[in-house]
Amino acid sequence: MKKILWIGLPIALVLLAEGFYQAIYVAPTEATMGNIQRIFYYHFPSAILALLFPYVNFIASIVYLSTRRSNPLRAQAADALALASAEMTLIFCSIGLATGMLWARPVWGIWWTWDERLTSFLMLWLIYVSYLLLRRFTAGGQTQTLAAVLSVFAAIDVPIVYMSIRWWRTQHPSPVIGGGPNSGLDPSMWPAVWWNLAGWFVWGLMLVTLRYQLERKRQHAQHLSVLQALETT
Amino acid sequence: MQKNNVALRVTIATVVIVGTILYLAVTGVNANKSYYVTIHELQSMGNHAYTRHLRVAGNVEPGSIQREGAHMQFTLVEQGNKLRVDYGGGDPPPDTFKDNAQALAVGMYGRDGVFHATQIQAKCASKYAPAAPGAKPSETASMAQPR
Repeated sequence: MKKILWIGLPIALVLLAEGFYQAIYVAPTEATMGNIQRIFYYHFPSAILALLFPYVNFIASIVYLSTRRSNPLRAQAADALALASAEMTLIFCSIGLATGMLWARPVWGIWWTWDERLTSFLMLWLIYVSYLLLRRFTAGGQTQTLAAVLSVFAAIDVPIVYMSIRWWRTQHPSPVIGGGPNSGLDPSMWPAVWWNLAGWFVWGLMLVTLRYQLERKRQHAQHLSVLQALETT
Repeated sequence: MQKNNVALRVTIATVVIVGTILYLAVTGVNANKSYYVTIHELQSMGNHAYTRHLRVAGNVEPGSIQREGAHMQFTLVEQGNKLRVDYGGGDPPPDTFKDNAQALAVGMYGRDGVFHATQIQAKCASKYAPAAPGAKPSETASMAQPR
């Protein structure tokens, strides 16, 4: 566990520091929105990672569901990864929502609106809030199975979030990256995007790994206490 | 028997949920309930246009903004179609609301051909360009055409 921290943390911090420097000092001020556009360098990485980690959660959940009877040890490992990636998703989703709202108020004139992009992204956030509440407050042996089923709904919602600004008219702008001819970033803005994307990705990867190892230790301790209880009786 | 019963319940629940979602999706598409309508769509809606609370999108015609205190009038343009908008005030529009900006007016279309807005929102482009050196940000606006 310590090794991950010693290797991951310096890399993440260096990438994020360079990302901050690029976003705040190097990237040019945007023409129509001014300095407020710099929040993009935080909004975009968080939002895109909030759409990536649900699939770690989804795949781990599917492995859990398919192996929980045939290979319980592997299923427990998969479940630990599912939990770790779900918590990471909720963090990135929250940052995406918060930075989006802070950006919307000065630029659109509103904190929030019920367009397809914002609504489907809020749904993703709600799914993971309910996922973690479910895991925390339900008793009995079905918690992991129910949580794994819930992750399927998140996996369905993610493509809807991604495609919403392509399928429907929204308040949210159409894709800046990978959009049509009337979209895109000035080349001088790309370094800020890449550094921050890499930094937040490493940061997320590190937290998921740490959280996974923590959950494995908890599972192990629980296992031991069950064994002890069986031996003493 | 017990097992069949559970399977039946799950099936019924699934059918109800999927059915409701499909019903809402289909009726939503039929009602053409988009987040906003274009000026062309508004003007070809007939009588429906006057009875519904709508959001209309367009670009602010340069020089058309007239302010009297909190009261404001301006013209939205979209592919040659024009719409006069009357905004009674309330919250001031965002700083990004200016000539050529993409804007959304929320309110009711009047029989007088003027759109009476209760709220003004701006849209932001998906193209980010650096401000010209020395220029105050937002003076070099080059907004994308609405889709």
